[in-house]
Amino acid sequence: MEPHERDLYEAARREGQVTWYSAQYSADTSEAIGRAFTERYPGVRCSVVRSTSQVAFQRLSQDQRAGVAQCDVFASSNGGHYIQLKRQNRLTQFRPVNADGMLPMLRTADPDNYFQYSSLGIYLLGHNTNMVSDAEAPKSWADVLDPKWKDKLAVGHPGFSGAIGIWALQMRSMFGPDFLRRFERNKPQVGRSSIDPVTMMTAGERAVGVAVPSASTLFAASRGNPLKLIYPTEGVVAVPAPSAIMSNAPNPNAAKLFMEFNTGPALSRITRTMFSESLRPDVPPPEGCRPLDQVTLLSPSLEDADRGVPELREQWRDIFGV
Amino acid sequence: MSASTDTATLAGSQRPSRLRLLEPITILWVALIAALLVLVALPLLKMFVISFEEQDTGVFTIQNYLTAYGRQRYLDAVRNSLLLGTLSAAISVVLAVPMAWAVSRTDMPGKGFTWAIVLAAFIMPPYLGAIGWVLLAGPNSGWINVVWRSLTGATDPLVNVYTFTGMAFVIALHSFPLVFIFVKSALDLISSEMEDAANILGGGTWVTMRKVTLPLVWPSILGGFILIFLETIALFGTPAIIGIPARINVVTTQLWQFFEDPVRVEVASAFAMPLLLVTIGLIAVQKLLLARKGFVSQTGKGGERRQVKLGPWRWVLFGWCVLVALLSVVKPLMVLLQASFAKAWGRGFSFDNLTLRNYQFLLFEHDMAPQAVWNTVWFSATSATIAVVLALLVAYIVVRRLIRFADALGFLAMAPFVIPGIVMAIGFYAAYAGPPLSLYGSALLIILAFASRFLPIAYASSQAAIRAVHPEMEEAARILGSGRLHAIRKVTAPLLKTSLLGGWLVVFIVASRELSAAIFLVGPRTRTMSVLLYDLTEQGNFEVVSAFGGILLVITMAIVGIGMKLVGRDFMLRRE
Repeated sequence: MEPHERDLYEAARREGQVTWYSAQYSADTSEAIGRAFTERYPGVRCSVVRSTSQVAFQRLSQDQRAGVAQCDVFASSNGGHYIQLKRQNRLTQFRPVNADGMLPMLRTADPDNYFQYSSLGIYLLGHNTNMVSDAEAPKSWADVLDPKWKDKLAVGHPGFSGAIGIWALQMRSMFGPDFLRRFERNKPQVGRSSIDPVTMMTAGERAVGVAVPSASTLFAASRGNPLKLIYPTEGVVAVPAPSAIMSNAPNPNAAKLFMEFNTGPALSRITRTMFSESLRPDVPPPEGCRPLDQVTLLSPSLEDADRGVPELREQWRDIFGV
Repeated sequence: MSASTDTATLAGSQRPSRLRLLEPITILWVALIAALLVLVALPLLKMFVISFEEQDTGVFTIQNYLTAYGRQRYLDAVRNSLLLGTLSAAISVVLAVPMAWAVSRTDMPGKGFTWAIVLAAFIMPPYLGAIGWVLLAGPNSGWINVVWRSLTGATDPLVNVYTFTGMAFVIALHSFPLVFIFVKSALDLISSEMEDAANILGGGTWVTMRKVTLPLVWPSILGGFILIFLETIALFGTPAIIGIPARINVVTTQLWQFFEDPVRVEVASAFAMPLLLVTIGLIAVQKLLLARKGFVSQTGKGGERRQVKLGPWRWVLFGWCVLVALLSVVKPLMVLLQASFAKAWGRGFSFDNLTLRNYQFLLFEHDMAPQAVWNTVWFSATSATIAVVLALLVAYIVVRRLIRFADALGFLAMAPFVIPGIVMAIGFYAAYAGPPLSLYGSALLIILAFASRFLPIAYASSQAAIRAVHPEMEEAARILGSGRLHAIRKVTAPLLKTSLLGGWLVVFIVASRELSAAIFLVGPRTRTMSVLLYDLTEQGNFEVVSAFGGILLVITMAIVGIGMKLVGRDFMLRRE
C-alpha cells in the first residue's frame, strides 16, 4: 500500500464501506472490482450498485429529490452527467494521486478535479460468425445503414445505456441529423444496456451487434461463443468515462480511497482479465484488442454529451417509440 | 353490546371514571384509523395534491397534466396499457374458464394435476415467465422457432414474443389463475338443480353450460377480468423486458421515464391520476352490469352437486389443461432451468455447456445477491405480518360492527385493491421518500408499501374467517370476565389461526416477487431479489438471471410447502 493510500485507508476504515453506483463496467466486472477492493482494504466494504448509466443517474436524482444521500462514488459512462453535476455543485473536489500514472489521455478529466477518468470503453461492431461470415460482415458504421441489414442488427438504448447515448451522438455528427431515422429503418432490436446485443448475438437472435463494448464481446467470445469484433473503418467510438465523489457522500474517505483504487494499477490488472482496456501504461492492454494507438478513436466532448444526450434520447424515443 | 353504547352509557352516569373504563377497543380503533391513513389515504392524497403543484415552488398549476398528456408518445402509452390490459384479461378468461368449469363441474380426469398447474402458474413471478418466453419465442433464437424451422424448413418464425399479442399472451399465462380461482369457487356453489331444469327443458350439456351455468358465474368472470386488467396495467417487469425490444411503451415504462433526471414526481402523479379514474370507472361498470340481475345460486334448500358426465370430451378438456400447463409452467421452467445451468443458453442442452458458475457467481461472488435474498424474505415476512394483523383487527371491528363508521375502515383496507401498484409506489415516494421523513431507500418504506399494497388480500381472508366464527364463543369468554381484547386473543384468534396463516402466506408470496413498487423505493442495500433480477436483465445476461430466478422459486416453493403442511393443500387457491 502506498503511503498516500495508508492515511486514507485509516480514515476509510472508520467509515467501513463505500457505495458505488457502477455503470461503466459489466455486472461481472463490477462485482470483481468491488470484491478486489474489499479484499485489498479489509474493513472497507464496497457496495456495488450496478445498472446502466441513465438508470444510475436516475437513482442519483431520486436520492437528491428525496434529500437522501446514498451514493459515495458515481460512475457513469455518459461523461455529460459530470458537467451537469459539477454545475449543480454536487461533486467533491479531489484528485487521486494515482491519476498521475494513468495513460496521458486519461490523466485529467476536469481541470478543477471534480471528476476523474476511471474507465475507457471501446464501442464497435461485432458479429456472430455462424450467422454472418467475415467477408459479408459490415465493415463500417455507414454499412449498418444498408437495407441488407434489416432485421439483423441489435443495439442498446440511450435512455438506459450512457455509452449508447455517446455513440449515437457521435454517429449523428458523422452522418447528419437524420441518422437515427435511417438507422431505425433497419429495425434493430433494441435492448437496454450496450451489452444486451452481445447476448442477442450469442443467442443467435441477431447477427450483428451495433455499438457493442469490446470488453463484453471478447469476454463472451472467450467463453467459446462464435463472436468476433469488427473495427469500423471510420474508427471506434472511445468513451473515456469519469467517476466522481458526491458532495453529500456518506463515506467521503472511503470514496477517496476508492477513487485511488479506480485510478491505480490494481483496477486495471483486474479489469484486463475481463477484457476491459487498461487505464495505465504500467498494465498491458487486454488480449484480443487492437492497441489503442493503431485505431482511430472517435468521441464527442463531455460538454457535447451534456448538451446533446438528453435531446438525443428524446429524439430516439420519438423515432423508436420506446 | 357494542363498544360505543358502552362508553355512552358510562359517560352519562360516571363521568369522572370515563377514561378508566374506556374500552381498549376505542384506542385501538384510533390506532387503526391512523395506520390506514398512513398506509393508504396519505400517499394517494399527497399524490393528488402534488399533481397540481409546480416543482420546487409548490404553486398551484395544471401544467403537470398538460405535460403528462401533451405528447403523442405519452398518449400512446395510455392506449397501449388499456389495450394490453384488456387483451391479457380476455386471454386469461379464455384460458381459465374451461379449466375452472372442468375442475368444478365435470368428470374430467387429472383434476389434481390441473390444481398443481394453476398453483405453479400463480407462484411464478410474471417477469420470470417473461424471460422464459424470450428464450422460447424469440423470433430467431427461441426454442419453439428453432424446432419449428428444423421440422418444417420454414424461414419465418412460428411465434414471436416481441409483439403486442406476444406480450399480452405471456402476461395472461401468469394471470389466468386469478380467473380460475374466482370462477371455480363460484361454480362450486351452484347446485345441479338449475342445470337439471335446463336439461329437462331439452338443453344438452353444452347449451346448459353456455346458457345457464356460465351466466350464473358471470360476476366472477367479470371480477377476475377486472382484477387482471388492473394487475396488467400496473406491471413493470414484463413491459420492460419484452416491451422495449417490441417497441411498445406502456404507462408503467412511461412513469419510469418521468422519474429520469430531473425527477418529475409531479408529472408522474398527473399521469397516474387518470389511471385511478379508469379503475374507479371499471368498478362502477361492474356494479352497473351486475345490478339488474340476480345471481343467487345459494338457497336455503341444500341442492345437490353432481358432476357432468362428458364422455370422450373429458379428454379434450384435459388436453386443454395440459396445453395451458405446458405453456404457462412446464416450458418456461424448462428453459429457465437449462439457461441457469448453461454457459451460453443458445448452445442448447449438452454436457460441455453445463456449468454451476451462474449459481456460484450469485451465491459467492456477488456483493448484493445474498443480501437481496435476505431482504426479500424479511421484507415480505414483516409486511405480511403487518398486513394480517391490521386486516384482522379491521375485519373484526367491521364484521362485529363494534363502532359507527366501521365500514369506512373496511373501505380503506380494500382500497389498494383497485389502485395499480405502481400508482401506490409513486404515492409512497411522494409522501414519504423526502423530508420530513426522508425514508427513501429505507427498509421501512418498502415494508410499508408492501403491507399497503397487499392489505386487501389479508383483509379479504380475515373478513371471511371472522364471519365464520359465531360471536357466542367470545361472548361466553366475556361473560366469564375477560375483556374484549383478551377474548380475541384467547378465543377468536386461535379459531382463526389457519385462515390467518393462509392469508399471511399468500401476502408473503406476492410480496416476495413484487417489482413495480419496489423499483421506485429501494436503496443500495435494500434492493430486493426482484429489483436485482431486473437490474441483471438489463445486460440480457439470461443465464445469471435464470439462476437467480431459480433461487427465488426455490425459496417460494419452500414457503408454499410449509404452507401446505400447516394450512392444507389448497391454501392459496381458496377463496373464502
